[in-house]
Amino acid sequence: MNASIPLLLPFFSALVILLGHRQLKGAAVLISVGSSIISFIACLALLAAADDKTNNQLLLPFIDVGHFHANIDVLIDKQSRGMMFIVSFIGMLVHIFSLGYMKDDEARPRFFGSLSLFMFSMTGIVLAGNLLMMFIFWELVGLSSYLLIGHWYQKASAAEACKKAFLTNRIGDFGFMIGILLLFGANNGNVNLFDLETAFKHGGPLALGSPGYNASFTTAAALCIFLGAVGKSAQFPLHVWLPDAMEGPTPVSALIHAATMVAAGVYMLVRVSFLIEASPLAAEIIAGIGCGTALLAALMATQQNDIKRVLAYSTLSQLGYMVMAVGAVAMAAKNGHDGAHAAEPGHPAMFHLYTHAFFKAMLFLGSGAVIYACHHEQDIWKMGGLRKHMPVTFWTFSIGTAALMGVPFLSGFWSKEAVLGVAFDSGCKVLFLMGAATAALTAFYMTRLLIVAFFGKPRTESAHHATEAPMVMILPLAILAIFSVISGYDVLATPLQAMKPPHVEGHQTVLVASLLALIVGVGSAIFLYRGKDKDPISIKLFANKFYFDEIYAVIVRVCQDRLAWIVTALERVFVDGLIARLPTAIVARIGAATRMLQGGHMQGYTFLLGGGVIGVVYLVVYVLPRLGH
Amino acid sequence: MITLGHYLVVSGMLFALGLAGVIARRNIIIVYMCLEMMLSAANLALVGFSRFHLVNGLPDYTAQSLVFFTITVAAAEVAVGLAIIVALFRSKQSVDVESVTKLQG
Amino acid sequence: MSVLEIIIALPLLAALAVWLGAPARAASLGATIVNLILVLYAVVQYGGKTGLAFTCSHPILENPALSFAVGADGTSLILALLTALVMLAAIWQIQDRPAIFYVSSLLIGGGALGAFLTTDVFFIYAFHELALIPTFLMIALHGRAEPAQRKAVAWKATIYLGAGSLVLLAGLVWLVLEFSGGSKLTFDLEALRNQAKLTPLPDAKQGQIFFLLLLGFGSLVSLFPFHSWAAPAYATAPTPVAMLHSGVLKKFGLYGLIRIALPLLPQGAHVEWVQHALIWMLLGNILVMGLVTIHASRLDDTLANSSVMHMGYIFLGIASGSELALKGAVILMFAHGVSIALLFGLCGRMRNQLGTLEYNKLGGLATHAPAFTVLFAFGAFASIGLPGLTNFAGEVMIFLGNFTEFKAGALTPLQWAVILALWGVVMSAVYMLRAYRSIFHGSPATGLFMIDPALSQRVPFILLAATLLVTGCCPWLLLNLMKSAL
Repeated sequence: MNASIPLLLPFFSALVILLGHRQLKGAAVLISVGSSIISFIACLALLAAADDKTNNQLLLPFIDVGHFHANIDVLIDKQSRGMMFIVSFIGMLVHIFSLGYMKDDEARPRFFGSLSLFMFSMTGIVLAGNLLMMFIFWELVGLSSYLLIGHWYQKASAAEACKKAFLTNRIGDFGFMIGILLLFGANNGNVNLFDLETAFKHGGPLALGSPGYNASFTTAAALCIFLGAVGKSAQFPLHVWLPDAMEGPTPVSALIHAATMVAAGVYMLVRVSFLIEASPLAAEIIAGIGCGTALLAALMATQQNDIKRVLAYSTLSQLGYMVMAVGAVAMAAKNGHDGAHAAEPGHPAMFHLYTHAFFKAMLFLGSGAVIYACHHEQDIWKMGGLRKHMPVTFWTFSIGTAALMGVPFLSGFWSKEAVLGVAFDSGCKVLFLMGAATAALTAFYMTRLLIVAFFGKPRTESAHHATEAPMVMILPLAILAIFSVISGYDVLATPLQAMKPPHVEGHQTVLVASLLALIVGVGSAIFLYRGKDKDPISIKLFANKFYFDEIYAVIVRVCQDRLAWIVTALERVFVDGLIARLPTAIVARIGAATRMLQGGHMQGYTFLLGGGVIGVVYLVVYVLPRLGH
Repeated sequence: MITLGHYLVVSGMLFALGLAGVIARRNIIIVYMCLEMMLSAANLALVGFSRFHLVNGLPDYTAQSLVFFTITVAAAEVAVGLAIIVALFRSKQSVDVESVTKLQG
Repeated sequence: MSVLEIIIALPLLAALAVWLGAPARAASLGATIVNLILVLYAVVQYGGKTGLAFTCSHPILENPALSFAVGADGTSLILALLTALVMLAAIWQIQDRPAIFYVSSLLIGGGALGAFLTTDVFFIYAFHELALIPTFLMIALHGRAEPAQRKAVAWKATIYLGAGSLVLLAGLVWLVLEFSGGSKLTFDLEALRNQAKLTPLPDAKQGQIFFLLLLGFGSLVSLFPFHSWAAPAYATAPTPVAMLHSGVLKKFGLYGLIRIALPLLPQGAHVEWVQHALIWMLLGNILVMGLVTIHASRLDDTLANSSVMHMGYIFLGIASGSELALKGAVILMFAHGVSIALLFGLCGRMRNQLGTLEYNKLGGLATHAPAFTVLFAFGAFASIGLPGLTNFAGEVMIFLGNFTEFKAGALTPLQWAVILALWGVVMSAVYMLRAYRSIFHGSPATGLFMIDPALSQRVPFILLAATLLVTGCCPWLLLNLMKSAL
């Protein structure tokens, strides 16, 4: 099955819509939604044509110089097939949901055009057969995210948020590009994922233990590549853009900032897991950063009042989980648990990514339905009692919440179990304990959200008059709710092939810990928040997100704006001064001196003329003969 | 015995006097006279050379014909130069060279 | 008679015709459109060939051997294409201006075409000087500042460029003398190249001459620290002149380095002290000018400084000398020319309509001028190296080209420079997005009103934006012209 349909169809759709939407009018929406549906069908065909051979095919030429080739070639294996399924499926549902959510927006064609652009670039990342192609689409998802966050660009907060998202990602891309350059150099100009894996796997010229192995180089390359994932997957310390990205329309938050694009970092790390396994130090740093992000974000989530922000921090936290799993798998591999957690066929991080995509997209779409019903009110303390007004939304939202908390037999339970299990196997107890603590916090803040928004009495007019959302919005919710339940089971055998790690025995500790975390979290939240009209606890540090934004603002002001000011001043004084003004001054001084000779007095000239004649005569008569001329 | 050297010394002195006048004097008419003196010095030197550079036993007349040229040109110069001086005096009411500064930047 | 001669002569003849009283707009537009078609014809004809094509030579002097010789390889054709495109766009966007605008644009474009398409060092140099004269006059006569100030700016640029040209001339004369062997001087580039292949100069001498040429060509390209003419000149120059000079004429210095300095002095850039000096200078371009650009508070300042900054990347390709990086440098020259011309063109339009370019007075233009915004976005995102637009292909080739020779654990100075230069990519995103944010996003500022240009006035900008998109998605279109090693 040719992969060009899901890749190129959204591209042309985006091109047509973004460049000609005023001529197209309503047709723009149809083109975009249609292309997403056709892409999904093509992806199903891709799944059905399940040949396990890793397939590297050239799609389009890009750069071709001498023996160097950087082309658009696709790598279709289990992982990319499974990821394609998630991207195109959730993408299609979000397209359909947006039909309802964006109905009254004047700039709807632009929205759908950007959405198509996103589908194109995300598909590109998933299918990328080499790192350079991945980087190309990596930047393009950044662009589409920029366009979508800034959809309501008239609002200052949205305009700032999209800029912040793009710039923070640029910092990550800075590292990603260095990593690509290092690998490019080390592997003789070949950044093909398949060939890189051969080089780094056992017996390859760059593998751990081979003569060509260089520990500091491998760690540097792995960490540089990881920096790309830190940006895109919003890990500490570049996590600040994701909560702000909630300025975008809610379907965008569901698709891009919860289910797919932010998971691209994790997907990419899994793609290059051979590199991380080759560097134990990098693996530990990655696991540590992932774990730290998970815990920090969960703490921040407990004190947020904006329904979308709670979900945003929860996304951060879950992404931290996935990144931790990537690091932990590499650490566990070193500890001898090699067979159990090899990157093929299933990786715990990919498994969690896959289940998380469904329930988090569902939660966001559910919050979208709530926001839509409450006339764009996002503060949970101004909602309440929505359970009765919006039953379908309530039930689907509850299922999503339960899946996220890891209630047994829902999808999140299995994947969280896998992640905690591998953290346990990594041999680092802190990792596991922090993971478990995060699980408890997750249960706490999600229960809080559910109780405050859906239970109790309506606290405002808009909550009182809320009504159930229209059919185009309910339908995606219901489908996603079903997937939130079943995606952990083998029902979805084909996409799961790539996702679910083989079952691991002997993790009683993990099971007990996660159940305990769930009970503690839910219990304390019910105890604290039941029937309350305002937040009973207030922790400034968490509510203000550990003051990261403020700290970064100072850093940007000092390290960038102030530095720019100083450099500009120095440039004016020294460069312009030394190169331009100093020579000018010298020439002017010499000019002023020699000007005396050109006073405009005929007699002065005559005097000089006479002196000159005498000088010439002296030269001709006395000096030159002596020199022998 | 008067040699070429004597002629040249007189000519050189005349020339130096003229040059000094041209450089130092303010009165434009005197400057002009001194200019004429320098021409005369050159003429004297030419005649001297002619007299002492014998060609086939005769003085070299080439130099003397040059002297005639010079005198003719000097006469023409006097006509033009004095006219200019008169014009200058009419416009400036002065024959001081320092007063003619119109072309200075 | 070669097609190249027509290409060079057409704009110059059109300029003459307009000066003599032909209808300015019709004549210049007609000439530039025909010119673009001719250049495209030459590009298609050249196809996948290698080496010089369309050669034609008219001897002028016996000794020194001097002839009016034209000829083009892939590099010159790419730059000729750039010139034809930008010249057309620059002339098309002129509105309600006296004929001198058309004449000067045609002269600058014709001069640039002459410099790119002749193969005799004498004429390469002379054509460039020809193009500089109208630049100077237009800044001094029609610049957008007080008369005293614009004269000062014009003089500053002229003195810098003149001094640079002088150093360059010294270097070229030295080069010609070295390779002519005393018996017969020649200015023919091919003959000089053959001579350089037969009897290369000793490395130390190559380094010295290369450095001289680097300073000369470099000050024409605003190589740090010889750049301070560029920003005020572009900010002051009338729009078509800013487009043509920053987009096209500036590339002459780089073209000279690639066409003349590198083939004749292959080791010149690799002599250690020259390389180190070049690395410091280009990092100055990228990092120092990046910060200076961040500090700018007006759009024309930002654009002018950013154009100085981006030259650093092209020098990075030249410093590397690897085939990949050099071809990347040529692609980036093309890309930068198109994108900066697009941005300057739009910036000029904004100034005419709004009367101000101060960021803190602008805002929300996207609401009333969506098409304008999209066009600007093309230029802005191209210049920060977004994949899918041409600049990215050039930059990434330069970066990769510097890593083709690699030893793990021991990065060369050049490779460290690449890593630092990558930070410049972040900085360029900072200033471009800040500019974009404060001009187009937010709610419309009071008292500012701007509407989209009429469709016929959009054509030149659409032409440039489409070029960026097409060659950005398919950089192999350009690379096909450079099959042979440079």
